[in-house]
Amino acid sequence: MVWGAWICLLSPLAAACLITLGGQRLSRRGAGYLATAACFVAFGGAVASFIGLLGRDGSQREILSTAWTWITGGSYQSGLSILIDPLSVFMMLIVSGVGALIVWYSVGYMDGDTEERRYFAYMSLFVFSMLLLVQGGNLLLLLAGWGMVGLSSYLLIGFWHERPSAIAAAKKAFVMNAIGDATMALAFFLLIEKANSLDFGILGGQYSSTVANLVALGLLGGAVAKSAQIPLHTWLPDAMEGPTPVSALIHAATMVTAGVYLIVRTHAIFEQAPKIADLAAGLGALTLLLAGLIALVQVDIKRVIAYSTMSQIGYMFLGAGIGSYPNAMFHLMTHAFFKALLFMAAGIVIHALINEQDIRKMGGLRQLSPKTYWGFLIGSLALVGIFPFAGFFSKDSILAAAMAKGTYGYILWAAGLAGTFLTGLYTFRLLFLVFWGEPSAFVREHFHALGRDVIAVSLAVPVGVLAVLSIVGGWIQFSPWWHPVTTWLQTVAEPTVTPESWQEWLSIALSLLLGLSGIGVAWLIYGARRLAVPRLPFAQRTLEHKFYFDEAYDALFYTPAVSLANLLRRGVEQPLIADSGRDLGDDTRDLGGLVARAQTGLLRTYALAIASSVAVLAIVFVVVK
Amino acid sequence: MIALLGPEASWYLGVAAFLFATGALGVLLRRNPLIVLLSLEIMLNGGNLALIGFARNLGDGGGQIFALAVMAVAASEVVVGLGLIVALNRKRVTLDVDRLNTLRG
Repeated sequence: MVWGAWICLLSPLAAACLITLGGQRLSRRGAGYLATAACFVAFGGAVASFIGLLGRDGSQREILSTAWTWITGGSYQSGLSILIDPLSVFMMLIVSGVGALIVWYSVGYMDGDTEERRYFAYMSLFVFSMLLLVQGGNLLLLLAGWGMVGLSSYLLIGFWHERPSAIAAAKKAFVMNAIGDATMALAFFLLIEKANSLDFGILGGQYSSTVANLVALGLLGGAVAKSAQIPLHTWLPDAMEGPTPVSALIHAATMVTAGVYLIVRTHAIFEQAPKIADLAAGLGALTLLLAGLIALVQVDIKRVIAYSTMSQIGYMFLGAGIGSYPNAMFHLMTHAFFKALLFMAAGIVIHALINEQDIRKMGGLRQLSPKTYWGFLIGSLALVGIFPFAGFFSKDSILAAAMAKGTYGYILWAAGLAGTFLTGLYTFRLLFLVFWGEPSAFVREHFHALGRDVIAVSLAVPVGVLAVLSIVGGWIQFSPWWHPVTTWLQTVAEPTVTPESWQEWLSIALSLLLGLSGIGVAWLIYGARRLAVPRLPFAQRTLEHKFYFDEAYDALFYTPAVSLANLLRRGVEQPLIADSGRDLGDDTRDLGGLVARAQTGLLRTYALAIASSVAVLAIVFVVVK
Repeated sequence: MIALLGPEASWYLGVAAFLFATGALGVLLRRNPLIVLLSLEIMLNGGNLALIGFARNLGDGGGQIFALAVMAVAASEVVVGLGLIVALNRKRVTLDVDRLNTLRG
């Protein structure tokens, strides 16, 4: 079982190294299959760990396997160790399972790209980093994984490095994530100072409320940046510049949900800092509403899905913030299924239309590509949370849990319900615009169907598997009646809120109703076109500018920083550093010229100089003596 | 050494200083390299006289030995100096030290 976990962690790393070192000796598609195989091996290892844990008693399900002592400093020590417990195994299964499917899909999607080997090396590196993040046996290794995930995400977003917009998006993502990494590192410094350790165990210790608040705030900063929650969310939509499977893997299924994992993993400290936990829930609620609103006006198929990702992670933050950890993790899992499905179905659409992403040019794809339509429809229904699809089971239990949290919980609950309506609206706006109606001129001209070859298989099979998972995946837990996920995670993250039965049913009924009415409104406007699209110029402009976050950050940070830098360049660097070198040279030369005049070439002046110097020395010697 | 006859050491030193100053003035003021060389010899001999005077005063032969060594060096120096002057003369260079200023910076 311990071996299974190590294999799970190391096989993607091995694939990354092999592809990197293999170079041209490995064919392009070979690199793809190697990465895919490594991810499936990792999934096998995760399954082995899972089965191993299942065979154990509830209280015995926590194994820390240390390879060697990694860092020693004074009395501080950190091991290179992995933790195998229900939470990490849960994440391992999702990351390696969904990851393997997406890497396999990439084999088809990236076919014909000039730099496939680099792509698959990055993908394997990413899966390894993500597994390190979830398996790390102490906070330091978690941070290492956290940083490496940010790095591989940077590399993958900027994969098409000949596009300036991709490079800009990669940098933006990296900088935003670095802010979160920094606040996390600060929290860890504080923990080292107080507890002299970074093991997960110390999180349960008693800290003064200031320390607990600061640590929780630092961790929340990291989580917010990684999970693209307000106010550090602006990088995620831009990150859609990367290849679509990357968006599916990093920006839907795994990396962006790492923040939720972090909160659940460190929930002990959040329970000591209830205000910060409330802040997390509030940020989640705010994000899910704002992202849902922005998604209504986006015209890029991937950006719509990206905003819906932000919105869904908002639900997870809400759940984790109010202490309903298993439900947040459950939603993380179902979200990984249906969001990866949506991204990959969208990838097939983009592929079929030769890299067109503007939904205004699409339409009528249902007739041309019915299977993709079905996949997308299943993903959309699961996203909105319609019975019996996956999102139905997970989202409603988060909302129900919010009701059990008092007045603040009811505000969150209302926000979540409003979000459900928005989800229905924007998801089906996308679906109707892309798939319904008559094929547009653009589509008729550019559409080319998939062949029946190995590429089509590698595109279609993962989508099919995820579609099945999006249908059945939610049935694992139905909170009013059965809850194995909660039971499984109980030893690691015991929920602090338990909703009443009537709250469960009320949330289910209302969110189903609101989701359906969202779909209904979308159908009236975009499907049947009975209603005109409402024209609200002000709202439209605000939403198209994404609530002016980018503009505000530009004005607040970017512009002042650039002007300050320019000022320093002109006021300090130019006179002090650039000019000083030249001046130093000039002055030395002038001085040399002066001294050179003493060198007359006349023997007598030298003799006079020597004689008078000796005379002076003699006098000094005699007088001072 | 037995008790000293003749004038005291300061007299020797006075003469030595006079000789040295004469030589130095000659080196500084005269333009003919031959005379400059000659003045150098006078300076050396001023130094020698001081050495011998001290040797006599202290009753130590070391100073006299040193003066002999200086004479030997002076002789070889004269050889080099005269050789240079002859070489200059052969090149039809005016024998004037103020003209020999090629090393000016």
